[in-house]
Amino acid sequence: MSLLEVRDLHVNVDDKPILKGLDLTVEAGEVHAVMGPNGSGKSTLANVLAGRPGYDIDVGSITLDDEDLTAATPDERAHRGLFLAFQYPIEIPGVSNMEFLKAAVDAHAVHTGLSEPSAVDFIKRARATAEQLHLSADFLKRGVNEGFSGGEKKRNEILQMLLLEPRLAVLDETDSGLDIDALQVVAEGINAFRAGDNAIVLVTHYQRLLNYVVPDHVHVLIDGRIARSGDHTLAHTLEDEGYGWLDG
Amino acid sequence: MAGSTADPAVATSSALARRLLDIETSDRSSWLDRAACQAVIARGLPDTRGEPWKYTNVNRWYDVALATHDPAALGIEAPDDVLVVDFDDPRTRPLTAAHRGKAFDLEEHPLAAVNGLLLDAGMAIVVPDDWHGEAPVRISDDGPSYQHILLVVGRGASITLVEEACGFTHRIVEAVVEPGGQLRHLRRQRPTPRRECSLVAVHLDRDARYELAQSSRGAELRRNDVVVTLAGSGAQVTVNGAWRLIDREHLDTQVAVNHVAPQGFSRQTYRGVVADRARAVLNGRIHIAAGAKATDAALNTKNLLATDSAEVYAKPELEIFESDVQCSHGATVGTLDEEAVFYLRSRGLSDKAARALLVDGFLREAIADDEGAARLEVVA
Ligand SMILES: Nc1ncnc2c1ncn2[C@@H]1O[C@H](COP(=O)(O)OP(=O)(O)O)[C@@H](O)[C@H]1O
Ligand SMILES: [Mg+2]
Repeated sequence: MSLLEVRDLHVNVDDKPILKGLDLTVEAGEVHAVMGPNGSGKSTLANVLAGRPGYDIDVGSITLDDEDLTAATPDERAHRGLFLAFQYPIEIPGVSNMEFLKAAVDAHAVHTGLSEPSAVDFIKRARATAEQLHLSADFLKRGVNEGFSGGEKKRNEILQMLLLEPRLAVLDETDSGLDIDALQVVAEGINAFRAGDNAIVLVTHYQRLLNYVVPDHVHVLIDGRIARSGDHTLAHTLEDEGYGWLDG
Repeated sequence: MAGSTADPAVATSSALARRLLDIETSDRSSWLDRAACQAVIARGLPDTRGEPWKYTNVNRWYDVALATHDPAALGIEAPDDVLVVDFDDPRTRPLTAAHRGKAFDLEEHPLAAVNGLLLDAGMAIVVPDDWHGEAPVRISDDGPSYQHILLVVGRGASITLVEEACGFTHRIVEAVVEPGGQLRHLRRQRPTPRRECSLVAVHLDRDARYELAQSSRGAELRRNDVVVTLAGSGAQVTVNGAWRLIDREHLDTQVAVNHVAPQGFSRQTYRGVVADRARAVLNGRIHIAAGAKATDAALNTKNLLATDSAEVYAKPELEIFESDVQCSHGATVGTLDEEAVFYLRSRGLSDKAARALLVDGFLREAIADDEGAARLEVVA
């Protein structure tokens, strides 16, 4: 049984077809990179996996660990172990990052039947994880993403992933807007998370991140369909030759 | 009948005035100038035609004001060294003489005249010069219908006033903060089926500071008037208000910050969540008099409408007669950000929990939990 199975996915946004029959199978322990030109539907795929409202699945199915999530709510998907790192994380003034992280971890604990971590244990763990990502303790006290730089927002997404320990992490352009130091920190975070019992779908426009997080499979998304799949060398070919040679 | 029919609103208001003037005035009514109160009432009480009462049917409050009233005792706790005395106490006479009418204008607050004539409990609280301490002054418990609390914060003193819900018909909290003094005022208003009005009037001397954190649930009719005068140079005021209204609750908040002296600083921040058929009114006025140079004033108000049937009337009002000032204002009415709801749900929070957390955070932009936001008991 595969960890994730996406079958013949057709998705409309505002009645406009964006994904036009997409298949993707991800096994436990794998990292898949989804690449493609701007507007090809990468974020649409990431969002539809997470259950964002407004993305209507016309045809097709999404299955995680043999459970059909096609019609599940975003919170049900999160409870089953799906995590989306947002391309544009949302600012929530007035809610501290720590309070937000604790609410998320508690919500998962409730649904896995575990007890919620004590506040002290949680704070320790959150601080240590933040430090691992070179985020100072101050970031935990501030409003969620409030006034964070682009790179800080992306690291905050990785922080959430590390604390929630999802079964499947979908990272949407987590590498964009990062300088080389931040990129390495993020890559280290992703590699630390990478394990035999989870999987990662890396959505990216550039192959830069893939030098640090080497994928098992690379897919090229063009006009709502996977136009080509290959191993990590495909990313280098794309870097050298662009996407043009795959058209039509 | 053609032509000159009497305006029914005027007729009602003057009939009310006559009835009020016929009520036997309280023995304590000399606290505010009795003649002045009578004159204000005789000239006509406010009605819904006037701008300040446009959204609050004050006639419904008069119904309560004219009913027999409850003379229960007023509970005030204060730290040692802080003097709490009845207005009848001879020790308060010099205070009356020095401060009466200093913080508000009876003409602009005619319900204070009703309070002045019918006063049940009048208490003066005197914080000595340079007094500092953690312990607050606390006004609590069920109180009488008409209350007037005068707080004098001495030079360089610093104190917190905690005002809990209390079943009054009209309450005046009047504060005079002497040079360099500081007053932090926490007002927590619980939901109630009552109709109540209140006036907070603050006079700030040189370098004095006043900070108000007011968290309000709704009432059948709740009207809060706040007037702060920065009378001495370098005075500072922060007015923060948060509210959450449900059902058919009504809350009308009228705030006036008057910059009279130079180098004044004022910040007003309001956040409200209004659901069902509830109605919230916020009128925030910044008045900057000629000569109040180098004033820095700002007002920001945001309301969330939880349903289409809820009503919000929020407006900043600027009256600026000085050019050397910085003044900014902003007002928005909106709904919860659905992107933010999705963000939280994608982290495992239920739709309900996500909305509650967002509403909590929104209100906390104005009021911290320890100041009363937690008491708004937000559920989306
Ligand atoms: N919320 C939306 N509303 C309207 N059009 C959208 C929306 N999201 C995506 N699209 C459209 O769908 C197509 C794919 O977009 P997207 O998935 O963001 O591409 P990518 O992430 O590969 O750049 C684009 O044409 C974009 O304009
Ligand atoms: Mg994208």
